[in-house]
Amino acid sequence: MAAFLKKIAFLATVALVLAVSFLEAAEPVAVIVNRANQVEKLSESEVKKIYTNNTLSWSDGAPIIIYDLSTSDPSRALFSDKILGKAPELVAEEWAHLKITNQAKNPPQVMKSQALIIRRVMREKGAIGYVSLGLVQNNPSVKVVSTLQ
Amino acid sequence: MGRDRGQRALGLFKGALSALSFLLLISSAPALADEPLDRFQRDLDELRKENEELKDRIDSLEAEDEETRHGLGLLSNLVEVSGYADAEYTFTDQEGEDSGFRVRHLSLFFTKDVQKEWKLFTEVEFEDAPRIESERATDDVKSSQGTIFVEQLYIEYHPKLSWDIRLGRFLTPAGIWSIYHYPPYVPTQTSPIIYKVIFPKVSDGVQLKNSFNLRDSAIDTHLYIANGAGNPGALDRNEGKGIGARVNADLLTGLSAGLSYFGERDNEGILRMSYGAHVLFNRSALRLQAEYQTRSNETDAASGFDDSGWYAQAEYDMSKWTLAARYDWYDPSSESSDDLWTRYTGAVNYRFAHNVIGKLEFNRNEFDDPSMDDYSQGILAIVVAIGDL
Repeated sequence: MAAFLKKIAFLATVALVLAVSFLEAAEPVAVIVNRANQVEKLSESEVKKIYTNNTLSWSDGAPIIIYDLSTSDPSRALFSDKILGKAPELVAEEWAHLKITNQAKNPPQVMKSQALIIRRVMREKGAIGYVSLGLVQNNPSVKVVSTLQ
Repeated sequence: MGRDRGQRALGLFKGALSALSFLLLISSAPALADEPLDRFQRDLDELRKENEELKDRIDSLEAEDEETRHGLGLLSNLVEVSGYADAEYTFTDQEGEDSGFRVRHLSLFFTKDVQKEWKLFTEVEFEDAPRIESERATDDVKSSQGTIFVEQLYIEYHPKLSWDIRLGRFLTPAGIWSIYHYPPYVPTQTSPIIYKVIFPKVSDGVQLKNSFNLRDSAIDTHLYIANGAGNPGALDRNEGKGIGARVNADLLTGLSAGLSYFGERDNEGILRMSYGAHVLFNRSALRLQAEYQTRSNETDAASGFDDSGWYAQAEYDMSKWTLAARYDWYDPSSESSDDLWTRYTGAVNYRFAHNVIGKLEFNRNEFDDPSMDDYSQGILAIVVAIGDL
């Protein structure tokens, strides 16, 4: 019996270690804006306000253009969890409901790749998006205003 | 002597040569050691450069591909079509009602960005297609015929993200359910009892929608003037117009609340003033919402009456499953004390896919009025959302 319990404890420990290492393996996410944007830093609550349409424009009055990743992207899972506190699928459903009722004020545009988000943010002054930190860490063409991990 | 001098000179020459060789060896040693490192560094730099160029190339190819698809998408989707459809089987013990299949909704939304700041939005609904009754004795095609109607049609002018004006027919902005009630995104097939009763379902008129921030709260407002309840388009049979407003504030993280109002004198000359309050808590997988609505109905000749009701609903998401429960209460007249209608609803949703939802719902309806029989109803439904929302 004791041996059996030991085996169970060992397996549980392995599972826990694997789970923790998997969670830790999630790559940090960088919230990025255009280089010309005057904003230097954004808190998580400020990012949330933007991604929930409670903030619609930058401090200079320019409209915010929001970019999002597809629900299957691991970076979106991390972003959704940390910023919005919900699973990406739930958030997508809420946007769908807002869009179908034409109540969405400024819905995010979903991009299929992180490279596209970087490119859009590079090109559009009012743009905001998020990508893996490693992709933009040494990229002077966009500005990292917040990091999540 | 001369030979000795010659030997000394040769010795000196050899010594000088050795020293020179030694010096050359010393001076060339680091260069010889550095050469492979330098070459490696150069190769690395070149590879890095190539890598950057390839990355840029991939980015631009992806962007071109995306832009092309976007462009083609705009061309091919001159009008964006979305919507939903649902079919269900209803079983009930209600007197006079039969269990049966019901092709309940086919709602199609057509959206067209006419110009950058102008949009046309329409919703055409095909509700209650001919119904297959399992217990109906005399089927009559006419009586079971469905309806096709334009539920919404408006032209929207939106110069800024924070405000827009809509002219046409729109869902009456009141509370929560009046706006957000589409089957793929609500847990029950039945609506709260007060829906469409105290505030009209749709309004023909003009609506101003405005959003702004007050300290840390985001405020959404709707202000509208409309023909009034049951007065679509040319069927408006009075000069008076209804006026309505709705305000909603995001108070705290996940908590929002608001108020609604609609006042009109209807075609029978009854002055109807509707008031509503709503609250919504939406955090993580939990969603709680409640609405209270009341309406005063007054005529010039006699004293009027009030009708009022409320509901509270809880939803909890667990991956593909959603559990929901709702309590409804409705008092159709303040003049009568035994006409209350209460309903208890429980529902389970399962997402076969993000846009295909199965629903199982059960509700129990109880009436204070002894002439009304209590009844129960069960609904099994499949709902699909149409279009890439």
